[in-house]
Amino acid sequence: MPNEKQLSEKESLQLITDMIQKVKNSYHDKGVGPLLWGTVVAIASFVSYLQLQFNFSLPFDIWWIVMGAIIPQIILINQDAKTQKIKRHEDAALNAVWLVYAITIFGLSFFQAIVPNAAEQIMQLNGWQIIKHEINNSKPDEVIKPFTPSFYSMYILIYGFPTLVTGIVKKFWPMTIGAIIAYILFMVSCFTETKYDFLLGAVAAIACWFIPGIILQTKYQKQKRANV
Amino acid sequence: MFKELDPILHSQLRLAVMSLLISVKEAEFTFIKEKTNSTAGNLSVQVQKLKEVGYIDVNKQFKDNYPQTTCKITAKGIEAFENYVKALQEYLKV
Repeated sequence: MPNEKQLSEKESLQLITDMIQKVKNSYHDKGVGPLLWGTVVAIASFVSYLQLQFNFSLPFDIWWIVMGAIIPQIILINQDAKTQKIKRHEDAALNAVWLVYAITIFGLSFFQAIVPNAAEQIMQLNGWQIIKHEINNSKPDEVIKPFTPSFYSMYILIYGFPTLVTGIVKKFWPMTIGAIIAYILFMVSCFTETKYDFLLGAVAAIACWFIPGIILQTKYQKQKRANV
Repeated sequence: MFKELDPILHSQLRLAVMSLLISVKEAEFTFIKEKTNSTAGNLSVQVQKLKEVGYIDVNKQFKDNYPQTTCKITAKGIEAFENYVKALQEYLKV
């Protein structure tokens, strides 16, 4: 680009448009994060459904694969930060939204791990317990731990939140649609058994992240080929 | 009566730099160089001019043991750019 070339008004406007377009074309999300999360959450949800449906249990908690996915996610974020030559205005806001989402999911898991035992202790201190009684007396009564019915619905509801924000801010309609599907599935899950909630959760993960991730990856590959 | 176009912005490379920076929070010098197809020396001179009038901030730091220069448009720069585009629109009646 020549040093001090004076431009006509038309050329100036064209130059501004070209440069803004160059910035737009220079950034393409690879979609690896959404693909990763969509895959692990869908697998964990689906395996949870299978365990309840076919009455078996794995020797480990399947949700550990979601925890395990945090490590590659951190590596990906670091790699991205190293190779990224621009920072966009919305980056900080979206990172904050996903951080709040992660804290919320952690909070819900913490709630699930702590509250039943704490509630059981409180009940014991007060001298009462929860008994499961079959209405048709087909089985003897049994003492059960306190639990929140259909708790996985809360997770499905929360899956929609960062996805919708990202979809709206980035004007990326597959994520917006994915979030709307998650909200519909949340409402459906309020009326279904826990095991089916897990199945709905798997569908929500596929709609919110896996499919948008595939779309992003395809776009990225296309752009990469175009730049070669 | 047409507004006079800002002479700082009414130059090809400086306008290109400002147009890139207006749509991002900050950009590396190497990114600007690549997108404007300019030489490092020429770009440095124009970046310095934009910095002197307060249209951009230039931050020099080290990243993974390599020097890294990032540029960021200032509030004054945004205002100047908006006025420049308005003046252009008046000229072109768009």
